Amino acid sequence: MNITLVMCSLLLGGLLAWYAEGIKKHSARWLALLTVLLLCFYFVISVTSAGLDFSELQILIRLPWITSFNIEYTLALDYLSLVLVLLTLFLSVVCILISWQEIQNKTGFYYFNLLASIAGIIGVFTAMDMFLFFFFWEVMLLPMTALIAIWGHENKHFAAIKFFIFTQVSSLIMLVAIIAMATIHFQQTDQVSFFYQDWLVIELPLSVSTYLMLGFFIAFAVKLPLVPVHSWLPDAHTQAPTAGSVLLAGVLLKTGAYGLIRFVLQLFPLASMDFAPIAATLGIVSILYGAKMAFAQQDFKRLVAYSSISHMGFVILALFSFNAIAYQGVVLTLVAHGLSSAALFSLAGMIYSRIHTRNLSQMGGFWRSAPRMGGFALAFVAAAFGLPGLANFVAEFLSLIGAYQRFPLLTILAAFGLIASTIYGMVLFQSAFQGETQENKQRKSIGKNKVQDFTKENLVTDLSKRELLVFSSLLALLIILGFYPNIVLMFFQIPELTLVFNTVGE
Amino acid sequence: MTQLMMQYLSPLLIVAFGIVLSLLLIAWRRSQKLILHFTLAIFVCALLSSISLVSNTIDAVQITALIKGDNYAYIAFILILLVSMVVGFLSSSWLRHSVEVHDEFFVLLQLVVLGSGVVVMSDHFAALFLGFELLSIALVGMVGYSRGSKYGVESAFKYLVLSATASSFMLLGIAFVYSQSGSLSFSVDAFSIAVNGQLYFVGFLLFIVGVAFKLSLAPFHFWTPDVYQGAPTSVTLLLATVSKVAMFVVLMKYWFSQSSLLADSASNVHTLVSILAILSMLTGNFLALKQQNIKRLLAYSSIAHMGYLLMVLLVVFPQSVHLAWQSALFYLIAYVIATISLFIALQLSEGKNANTTLDGEQAISDWQGMFWHNRVLALLIIVAILSLAGIPLTAGFIGKFYVLNTAVQAQQWWLITTLIVGSGIGLFYYLKIIFTLFDGVNQEQSMYLTNAVVPTELSPVVNLSVILIILAGVILGVYPDIVSQML
Repeated sequence: MNITLVMCSLLLGGLLAWYAEGIKKHSARWLALLTVLLLCFYFVISVTSAGLDFSELQILIRLPWITSFNIEYTLALDYLSLVLVLLTLFLSVVCILISWQEIQNKTGFYYFNLLASIAGIIGVFTAMDMFLFFFFWEVMLLPMTALIAIWGHENKHFAAIKFFIFTQVSSLIMLVAIIAMATIHFQQTDQVSFFYQDWLVIELPLSVSTYLMLGFFIAFAVKLPLVPVHSWLPDAHTQAPTAGSVLLAGVLLKTGAYGLIRFVLQLFPLASMDFAPIAATLGIVSILYGAKMAFAQQDFKRLVAYSSISHMGFVILALFSFNAIAYQGVVLTLVAHGLSSAALFSLAGMIYSRIHTRNLSQMGGFWRSAPRMGGFALAFVAAAFGLPGLANFVAEFLSLIGAYQRFPLLTILAAFGLIASTIYGMVLFQSAFQGETQENKQRKSIGKNKVQDFTKENLVTDLSKRELLVFSSLLALLIILGFYPNIVLMFFQIPELTLVFNTVGE
Repeated sequence: MTQLMMQYLSPLLIVAFGIVLSLLLIAWRRSQKLILHFTLAIFVCALLSSISLVSNTIDAVQITALIKGDNYAYIAFILILLVSMVVGFLSSSWLRHSVEVHDEFFVLLQLVVLGSGVVVMSDHFAALFLGFELLSIALVGMVGYSRGSKYGVESAFKYLVLSATASSFMLLGIAFVYSQSGSLSFSVDAFSIAVNGQLYFVGFLLFIVGVAFKLSLAPFHFWTPDVYQGAPTSVTLLLATVSKVAMFVVLMKYWFSQSSLLADSASNVHTLVSILAILSMLTGNFLALKQQNIKRLLAYSSIAHMGYLLMVLLVVFPQSVHLAWQSALFYLIAYVIATISLFIALQLSEGKNANTTLDGEQAISDWQGMFWHNRVLALLIIVAILSLAGIPLTAGFIGKFYVLNTAVQAQQWWLITTLIVGSGIGLFYYLKIIFTLFDGVNQEQSMYLTNAVVPTELSPVVNLSVILIILAGVILGVYPDIVSQML
C-alpha cells in the first residue's frame, strides 16, 4: 500500500507522456491512459490485499519532513478517503477518454497537467499532516489552473484567474488557522505539531475554536462551493476544457466536502454545532439559488455548473445536521454527484465538439440524429434530478431524512430543490434533444418552412465507441449504486463521526 | 585585535583588500575580462570565508565596538555575495555591447558589497552610517552608469537626491537617539540609563524614515519604480536585493537590541510599524496591478514584499525573536532567489536588442508565448513568480509560512488580514505574467516579434546555471530544512 508511489507514478507518467508526445504524435494519451489504468489496478489490489481495517484511520507512512516545525510527511487512509480516491481514479480514466479527440494542441503538456492535478487531489484525500494537506491543497490548483488557462474556451484567462484567486485567498485564511492550531498545540504541550491526530486532543476554548473553525470552513466552503462564495464556479466550469470541468465537478468540489467532514467537524465539534444553523441556512440558500440560476441559464455547461452548486447545498445541510443517516447520505451524494455531473459535463463536451456551441438555444432535435446520445442524456439528467433507481436518489433521500430530524423547516425547503432540479433538468434535455432542429428553426425564420430534408452536414453524429464506453460505465455505476447503495454505505455503518454525534445529544 | 577577530572580520577584509588590488589592476592593465574574473575571485574568497564562519559554533564575536559578527550577519552577507556574483555575470554580458572598457563598474560593485557587508555586520551607528553611505554612493554611480540611455541620468539624480535626504534624516535620528541613550552602540543596557521616551521616540522615527527609504516602504517608495526602470537591469537587481537585504538585517539588529528602550512608547512604535507594513502591502500590490513594464511591476511588488517582511518585527515575546530572525532570513533568501531569477530572465530576453537594453522598456507582452519556444527560461520565470506569489512547491511559500508563523505568534491579526488581501491582489498581476508566457503567438504577431526578445537557445553554461537556480527555488520550497537548519 503505497500512496506515494501512486502519486509519483502519476507525475512520472505525466512527464513521460509530455516527452513522448514530442517524439510521436498521439502517444501521450495512450501513455496517460495506461498509467492511470495500471495505478487503478495497483490501488485496488493493494487495498484489498492490505488486510487493514479502514474504518479507522490507518497511517501508511510517517516520515519527518520539515524538522524546524516538526512537520511530517504523513499519509493515511480510511474508508472515506478510500472511496474518494477510487472516485478520483475512475474519473481520471473518464477524463482521459473524453479528452481523446478534444485536445489537439500542446497535447503532451495537457496530459501532464491532467495527471499532475490528479496526483495532487489524491494527496489531498490522504494527507494527515495539516501542512502536507495544505501543500497538496494548493499544488492541485496549479495544474488545474493551467488546464483552464491554456486549453479553455474564449474567456479562459479571466475564469482561471478568478478560480485561482478565490481558492488561494480562502486557503490562505485556512493556512492562518492551521498555524494558529499548531501554535496552540505548542502552548499546551510545548511541542509544535501539525499532525492531525495530535490536534484531535487539543482542548480549545469555544471562542477560539469558533474563529479557527471559520478559517477552515471558509476555505472548504469556497471549494464546495457555498452560495456567497460560489461565483468562481460557473465561470471556471464554463471556460474549462471538458476534462477540466469533469475533474472540477467530479472531484475538486469533493475536496471541500472532504475537508468539512475530516477537519471542520472533527476538530471543532462544538464550534461547528453552534455554527450549524447558519451553515444549514447557507446550504438551503445554495440549493434554491443554484436551482433558480440553473433554470435561467442558456449555456449548457453553466446550467450544469449551477446545478452542482444546488446539489452541494444538500451536502452542507446534511453534514451540519450531525446525524448518522445524513452522513451516509453525504458520502453517497459525493460519489453520485461525482458520477452524474461528470457525465453531464462529458455530454456538454461531446455536444460542443459536434456543433461548437454551448448555447442551448442553438441546439434542438438531436434525438433524431443521435438517439443513443439522447438516451444517455435522459438517463443522466434523470440521475441529476434524483429519479429512484439511480444513485442520486438514494443519496438525497438519506440526506433529507437525516437532516429532517434536526432542521425540519429547512429540510422541507430543501425538498423544493428536488422539484426545481427536475424542472431545469427537463429544460436542459428538451432544449437540446427535442423540439425543432437548428436547421428547421432557421428555415422557419426565413419563411421556407416545412422543409424536412436533412443535409448530411447538419446531422449530429451519434456516440462513437469510445464515448459509448464512457457513458455506459458511468451509467452502470449510477444504476448499481442506485439499486444497491450498500456497496458504498456498508463501510459507513458505524459512522466515523460517532463522537461528534454523541456530543450533540438529543 | 585578536586572531579570532581577524578571522571573523575576514570576509570584509577580503573585499576591502580586493578593491585596492582592483585599482592597482586597472592601473596595470585595462581589460574587462580580467577585472570581471578578479572581482568574481574576490567574491568567491569572501564567500568561502563567510561560509566557514557560519558553521562555527560561537554565537557572536564583537570585533571592536563597531562591528559584531554573528550568524545572521554572515548569512546575509553570503546572500549579498551570491547576488553580486550574479550581477557581475549579468553586467559583463551587458557591458560587452559598448566599446569602452568598464573597469570602474566592477570596482563600484565591490564597493557596494563592502558597504552592505559593513551594514549587516555593524553593531554601532557609526559603522551603520559609514556602510550606508558607501552603499548609497557606489549605487548612485552604478544607477547612472549607462549615461546614454533615456532615463539614466534622471534616475541617478533621483536616487542621489532622495538617498541624501534619507541619510540626513537618519543622521538626525541617530543624533536624537544618542542624546538619550548616550551611546552609539546598538547593545545598550536599558536599565543603566534614564531614557526620555519622547525624544528617543523622535530619534527612532527619523531613523526609520531613513531605513524605510532604502527598503522603499510606502510612503517612501516614490523613487522605486522610476529608478528600477531607469537603471541598467543588473544594477536594478542590486538595488532590489543587496541594498534591501542589508538594510533589513541592520534594522532587525537595531530593533531587537534596542526595543527595550522604547518600552514607554512600545504601542506607538508597533502601530507605526504596522501602518508602514499595511501601507506598503496595499500600495505595492495595488499599483502593480496596472503595470505593463516588467521592471516597474517588480518595483511595486518589491514594495509589497518589504511590507510583508516588516511583519516579523512585531514580535511580542522575547522567545520569538529567534523565530523572527529565521523568518526574515528565509523570506529574504526566497525573495532574493526569485528576484535573481526574474532579472536573469529579463537580461537574457533583452538579449541582442540594444534599444530595449538601454531604455529598460521591456513589457510583459514581450514574454508572450515564451513557454513554447524557450522552456527553461519560461520555467525560471514561472518558478520565480510562483515564489513571489507564495504558492507551494517554491521557496516563497515557505518564506510566507515563516512570516505567518511569526505573525500568528504575535497575534497581529490586522496585518495577517492585510497580507491575505495583498496576496490576493498580487495574484492578479503575477498570474497575468504566467498566462502571458503560455499564450499562443499567432502568425502575424510572431513576424512582428521575431526581431525582438525571447532567445530560443541559450548557451550551455547559461542553461545549466538557469536550471540550477530553478532547482534552488524548488528544493528550498520542498525541502527547506537544508537552509533552515543553518538559520
